[in-house]
Parts: sequence; structure tokens; C-alpha cells
Amino acid sequence: MSKPLDNHWTAVVNGEQKHLEIAQTTRLVDVLRTHLQLTGTKVSCEVGRCGACMVLMNGEPVNSCLVMAYQCEGSDIMTIEGLHGEEKGTLHPIQQAFVEEGGFQCGYCTPGMVISTKALLDAHPEPSQEQIETGLCGNLCRCTGYGGIIRAVRKAGERCVVKETSPEETVS
Amino acid sequence: MLLNRKQSGKRWHLRPDGAPKVTGQLQYLTDMTLPDMIHGRVLRSEYPYARILSVDTSEAEALEGVYAVLTSKDVPGLNRFGIATPDQPVFCEDIVRYVGDAIAAVAADSPERAALALDAIRVVYEELTPLNSTDAALAPGAPELHEHGPGNVLHRTEIKRGDAEQAFANCDHIVTETYYTPRQMHAYMETEGGLFVPDEEGRLNVYAATQHGYKDRMQLARIIGYPEEDIRVVSSPIGGSFGGKDELNVQPYGALLALRCGRPVKMHNSRKESVRAGLKRHPMKIEMQTGMSREGILQAHRVRITADTGAYATLGAPVLNFCTEHCLGPYAIPNVDVEGVSVYTNNGLSGEFRGFGGNQAIFAMEGQMDRLAAIMNMDPWEFRRRNMREKNDPGPLNQRILVTDGLSQVWEALDRSELWQKHQSPPADPALPPWIKRGVGAAIAMHGAGLGYGIPDPAGGRLSLNNEGKIEVAFSYEEFGQGLIATLEIMLCDLFQCSTSDLSIIIGDTDRVPHSGSSTASRSTTMAWMALQRLQTPFRSRVLATASVMSGIPTDELVTGPGGVWRKDQLPAETSEVETPEKAERTKVAEIVAGRTESTQIAESYLGASQYLAKEGVSSGFVVSYAELATQGEADEWIFDTKFDYPTTPDNVVGGHYLYTYAAVAAEVEVNTLTGETKLLDTRHVVAAGPVINPMGYIGQIEGGSVMALGFTLTEDAVMQDSRYVTTNLDTYLIPTIQDIHTNLEVEAIEDLPEGDAFGPRGIGEIGSVALAPAITAAIHQATGVWVNSLPVPREQLVRPLNVPLQEGVSPS
Ligand code: FES
Ligand code: FES
Repeated sequence: MSKPLDNHWTAVVNGEQKHLEIAQTTRLVDVLRTHLQLTGTKVSCEVGRCGACMVLMNGEPVNSCLVMAYQCEGSDIMTIEGLHGEEKGTLHPIQQAFVEEGGFQCGYCTPGMVISTKALLDAHPEPSQEQIETGLCGNLCRCTGYGGIIRAVRKAGERCVVKETSPEETVS
Repeated sequence: MLLNRKQSGKRWHLRPDGAPKVTGQLQYLTDMTLPDMIHGRVLRSEYPYARILSVDTSEAEALEGVYAVLTSKDVPGLNRFGIATPDQPVFCEDIVRYVGDAIAAVAADSPERAALALDAIRVVYEELTPLNSTDAALAPGAPELHEHGPGNVLHRTEIKRGDAEQAFANCDHIVTETYYTPRQMHAYMETEGGLFVPDEEGRLNVYAATQHGYKDRMQLARIIGYPEEDIRVVSSPIGGSFGGKDELNVQPYGALLALRCGRPVKMHNSRKESVRAGLKRHPMKIEMQTGMSREGILQAHRVRITADTGAYATLGAPVLNFCTEHCLGPYAIPNVDVEGVSVYTNNGLSGEFRGFGGNQAIFAMEGQMDRLAAIMNMDPWEFRRRNMREKNDPGPLNQRILVTDGLSQVWEALDRSELWQKHQSPPADPALPPWIKRGVGAAIAMHGAGLGYGIPDPAGGRLSLNNEGKIEVAFSYEEFGQGLIATLEIMLCDLFQCSTSDLSIIIGDTDRVPHSGSSTASRSTTMAWMALQRLQTPFRSRVLATASVMSGIPTDELVTGPGGVWRKDQLPAETSEVETPEKAERTKVAEIVAGRTESTQIAESYLGASQYLAKEGVSSGFVVSYAELATQGEADEWIFDTKFDYPTTPDNVVGGHYLYTYAAVAAEVEVNTLTGETKLLDTRHVVAAGPVINPMGYIGQIEGGSVMALGFTLTEDAVMQDSRYVTTNLDTYLIPTIQDIHTNLEVEAIEDLPEGDAFGPRGIGEIGSVALAPAITAAIHQATGVWVNSLPVPREQLVRPLNVPLQEGVSPS
């Protein structure tokens, strides 16, 4: 028998331990946007279709509109605010690639898209077109027509691979 | 020029709003909060059509944590809104006409409590039978939804030329077809909402998305009974609009609740609420009869357009005007008989949407052209050429239009393209299973820009040197993703050879920008360019004259450059600050997003001019900085304003356009005749819209418009049953995903303009979305022999039983 839920919620969010007094049925997207003021995670469909609310939970991409507080209790959550380059305050190669290739327009889908790309490249550092399509088909974008996004993901993939290869193997 | 990153070279300009967007730092207006804010919600109708017998709010008012419950009695001013025809009630008094109609609004200390309060409002209705189609609404004896009738007609249009009846009698071939187009949803990712803040000075601050802050301000002033100056509308950045946020949506409720409660009120529609209450593209039925001579020359064209405008007018009348103008295509037809009608029904709200009625018209007209060409057994592209208007012919409404070569240029460019050439020998791949069929189709379009003759379409702008020494421009346009700010940066750097860090770009805030019209109708780029053309000379003269006084160097030896004024011959070569990836690599996010406390404050550029000077060690030719210049004289001597109107035809034809853009599109599809599924494999867009200012933005607009048109063609339809939405969210309303798109999209930009052209680059916000549908249906015809006349393409029409040889024109059943 599991014990009844109390209102105490803890998790590691972007590397920081968080404690909140909230109803355990609060959606993760509201925990982030409302209680922690992390509005980089967007909300759009609220039914798990659009991917605007995508975050990483223990390294896996999840739609935060479908996750309740009790389901992520104690987990490690990364939102767009937690993603950066080598130093805090710099762009992650994925973010950099989105900027360079025009992988966004209004930008509302972008945090979710970047998070899904992170999950994709973590799993497949050199993704095929098919893997890109599978990895990102849970993220809708109404502005770009996805062209810029695909170009950005390819470029980010190249960059991440180059980075992760040891220097002597790197071909300049 | 084939447009891509490589071809664009140094003009590939990184957007200043890029870093804030990819890091999630950018606060959209629906992300804003204030410590003491409360939450607003709107009670909407339970029925598409009903009489309200009573509304009892007492229980809701008594709830703990509820600050206000408002109904029609609480509207101090006009209880109506609508950009063109204010006929939509803020709160319904006695009748509800669609499922999004508002009856009451509440504000409470949490969104949950606000929802409880809505449940506690008791409304007694007398349900009426909804007019669920234009036929039902036009039937004799149908109840009238609005007093301003006659009947349920919002608007009628007409074009008559020559004697169509007589001409049809003499035609050798006539094609008669009826086309249907869907109720497309804008599906912007950010739903409507914002923050409404009354301040100590008694002013109301509205932070909510719109395409025209000043129009919102005017309408809100009417509703709340305030002078316009007492309202500030901040309206950018916006998470997508496509026409869908042009009309007021949550603003009246947020404003009224905030004023009643005396504290900030936050509104944010759920997706379901957004679907239910928001605008859609007008579903249309377009009946066309087109006749030609034995030689295949068009003689007569009869068109009947019926548009379902839904419960309220919104921009239904201008949309119908636009559709009427565009249903003749870019063709010369001597005898024309067109009638359009826009009809009130209880089916949701139709309104403005990217393409503005052109999409529906072009789908129908291009469909006719393909059918006629098939009768002639002629290449459909050649058939179009024979019937195309000549360069100097008048426009579709017989009005004078600006003469350009755009039409023949896009025709020729597409004709040459490899993709269209495939049409000659239909691509058959022996490796494919026999139920997979391929085909190629193409379509052409001319699309008007601006609001058209007879509709006020003011433009203007302001250019100044502000007291921080920045070259500042201010326009009442909005950034909803199209890349307007990047485009302005490029224009200004081109004009003044300055760097992006010398610029301050102000948009989307009625307190800080002059009235320069709205960001609609593909007009902003042209209007901004024309304004800067007018403003640059006085601005530059003043800058150079002052620099000359300060330095003793004659003005004709001075030029503007990065950081300030330079000696002409010593201006550093690489001045215009086009970002290179290497530079951007050094981007510090913190730097970029710092200071975005106000929504209009757009991130600073990457490399400051002072750093530039220090780094390059070039100071010898540098004369004086903008910051020093700005200290000279009075601040207002550094401000330059202009006002003008969007160019219109000199001929008195209401809605007639003067500037057109042209596009030709080819599409290759693959149809699975077992499932009826169509996949777009390849497309090529040729666009003639003048010089490409911002290649990244241009490609993005064409790609985005094209994919939106793909949805319009294959999957998107906000289905209604008895005037209620069946598709209420993005799980059943299917917009294209990354798996559905055509990764081969190519964009060719034709940049020529007539010599001495005074209008500059034309907007391309809509042109990418208007001609894909007929190109796809033509390709489907080549693949399967089926003429599709209804969108989204009904799959069942494309399914064929196995082992039955397909023959053109033979139906399988
Ligand atoms: S808001 Fe969570 S998937 Fe759309
Ligand atoms: S950039 Fe607007 S939804 Fe993707």
C-alpha cells in the first residue's frame, strides 16, 4: 500500500534541489511556469500533442502538461532554462544552431523543440532523417514549416559530434 | 536567385530575438505575472444559438476568493467590438449566436477558483435551432441573426464585364465545377492571453497580442469608456498570429475585470477555449463556369462565391472582396459575371487568415485552368501562358495596377525548373508498388498587398537619434515571428552603414510608437521601407551637418558608419554588421537577454561599436560618435516623422489593389491508392516580390506558408456538427508535423522591379500560402486521374481497389 500523498513535493530542477508545498495533482507544466516562474517551458495544447511543454525528466523527454507532481516527485528535471553551453550564460550548440539556421520564428515552440532535439542527439548523435522525424514529430511548429528546424538539428548534430570526438580525431 | 543560406552570403542575418527565444528567456505577454495579480476567465455559451432568459451571478459572487463577476450590465461604454463592423457583443444581452459567445467574466485569486465561479453562474437559455450552414441561413423564413440584414447576408460583391451569357453561348468548351474549402484554424502555438494592469495614474496597461495595437486601443476605449490616451497597449512579442489575433479576443474581459478590481488581471485561454472562441478561415463554396474558344482562349467566366462568415462580421466583408478580386486569377477574360455573398450562420467565427480569401479563390480558378487545359489536351502551363494577362493590362477589377514583369517572370522560371519538367514525362518508378502513383502539378497566382482602394490604410514611422546615441526607429508594427525586427535592422544598416549595436528598434507599444498602420496584408516590409526612404535624407543631413560643425570637416566629406560619423574615404570596409557565425559563437546569453524587462525592448546586438573600434584599432577616420551628436541641440530636433498612405490604384474600385506579388508553385506528390494518402515529395516556389532584404526571413515565410497550405490541402478542417466544433484540439485537428512535410522545398526569388520603382520590397507573408493547394490537386490528378474539388483532399476519392487498372476518367465503383 502506498502512503497517502501529502503536499510536499521535491525534485531537482536544472540542477537545484526544489521543495514546494503544492497539491500532488498539480501538472508539472504549472509547477514550472507558475510555482517556479520557469516560463521558458510553454503551454499550448495541454493534451500532449504539441510538445511546447517538453522537458527532460531523468534524461527522457516528457510532455510536462501530462505529468502530475506526484509522478515526478524526486526526479531530475531539466527545462530549457537549464540548457547552456560550456559555461552558464552561453548558448548550447543546439541553441546556437537554431539561431544560425533560422530554426524558429515566433519562438513559442522553440524551447520544446530544443529540448526534444537534445534528447534526440543524446540518443542518436548523428541522426538520420528518419530519426530526426521520429524524434521531433511530437513537437508542432506552425511558423517555420520545419525547414529551418531540420537544418538546425543537422548542424547541431555535426557540432555535438565534433565536440565529443577527441581532438586528434577531429578533422578541421 | 535560388534562395538559401549559401547564396545569401553576408545577408544571412541572425535575428536579434534569436538568443532570447532559444534559451526560453523571452517573456511572451502570456508569460508575464505580477505579485498581486488575479485570474480572469470567461463564461461562454452552452449553445450555438439560444435566447438568454436569465443570468444569475449571485452564487458566483458569494464564493470566497472571487473578486468580480461581470455581465453586459457592467460594460460602461459600447458593448460591441469588431475592426470593421463592431457587431460582436462583449457580453451577450439576450441572444447567443455561437459557442464562443461570452455571457460573463470572473476574476478570482486562482485559475481554479475562477473556474469554480464560472460553474456557479446560472444561465437559463431557450435553445434555438442553429443555422448550421449557409443554405440554412439563406433559406426563406430563416431567422435573422442580426438586425442589420437583409436576411443573413453580411456582404455582397459583384464583378460584371462584357456579356457572359452571350459569350458562353458561343464557347466551344465549358468547364463547370464547384469547389469547397475548409474551415482552417490558425493554430498559432501561443493561445490568446495577457496581463491587464491598472496603474496609479488611472491608466490601463494592456499586455496582449494583437496585429494592430492602435486599433485595439481605439476599440477598448470605446468599450471601457476611457479616452484612448489613457490606455497603453503593448502587443509584442507574439507567439504566432497569421491573422488570428487581429480582432480583440481576451482584451475586453481583461480590461473590464482589471478596472473593476483595481488590480492586475491575467488571462490565458486554454486551447479548447481558443478553438471555440477564435477566428477561422472562411469555409467557402465557389461555383465556377469557365468557357473558351476552340483555340483554347478564355471567353467567359461565371463565379458564385458563398462564404460562411459565422456569427459576427469580423473582417468577413473585406475577405469576400479579396476573394472576389482573386477569383479571376491573373488571366485576361473578356466576359465576366462574378457574384459573392458572405453569410451569417451560427458556425463559429470566420475572419482574417493569411492569404485573406485569396487561397480559396486561387484553388478554384487554378482548378478550372487545369480542367480546361485537359480538354484542350494541352500542357497546362502553356495553356495558362496563352491566357495570362499582358503586362500592361488592367488588374482583375479593371483597375490600374503597378506594371511589373512579375507574372511572366514567375511563369518562365517555373517552366524552366527541373521539377516542372518532370510533368512532361510523368515520373514512373518501377521500384514502386503498383498502388503508389506519382504526379506533378503547378499553379500560378497574383496576390494583392495592402488593404485596397477605399479602405483607410495609413502608414508612417519615426526615425530619431535618441539620447543614448542610438539610431532609433519606431513603428506600430508587431513581431509575431515573421522576422520584422531583423528586417528593420538590415534596412537600417544598409542605409546608414552602421552596426546593429547602433540601433534601437521600437515596435508594439502604443505609448512609444507613432501610428503607422497594422501588420497585416503583407504590408509592413513595404511600408517600413518607404518610410525609411522618406526619413533617411533629413535624418542624415542633420547628423552630418552637426558632425561638420563639431569637426570642421565639410559635410560632403562625411558619412555615417559604425558608431558614428566617419570621413568618407576612411569608412572601414566591413561596416554593415552582418553577423557571422564566429561572432555569434561568442554570444553571451546574459548580455543578450539582459534588460528585456519591457516587451518591446529587443535584445541588443552582439558586438558594440565601441568594442568594434577598439578591436579594429581604426579610429583615424572616425569623426564623432552618435552619442556625442545626440548631446547637441534639443532632443526633439533629432526626431523625424513621416506619414503617408499605402499606395492604391487611382481608380475608384473598392478593395482593388495596386501592388501585387506573383508566385508560381510546382508540386510532386505520391498517392497511395490503397489508403488514399497523399504525400508531398517536392515543391518549388518562385516568388516575384522585389528585392530580398532578409533572406532568412524570406525563406522562413515561404516555407512556413507552404506548410500551412499543405495542411489546408491535405488534413486541416475544423469540423462542425450542428454548429459545434468536433475538432477541439491539436490531437484531432491535424496540422502538419515534421513527418508530413516536403523536405525538398526550394525557393526562387525574383528580385527585379521596374526601373525607378518607388515601393521597394514587397511583403511575402502571404504569398507562400496561396498557390500550393491547386498545384497539389493538379499533381494528384496526374497521379490518379481524379479531379479533386474539395479540401482537405478526401482520401476516399483516391482509394482504388487492387488489381483494377486505372484509367483516367473511369470511376472504380
Ligand atoms: S502543452 Fe503539453 S504537449 Fe502541448
Ligand atoms: S516558431 Fe512559431 S510555432 Fe514554431
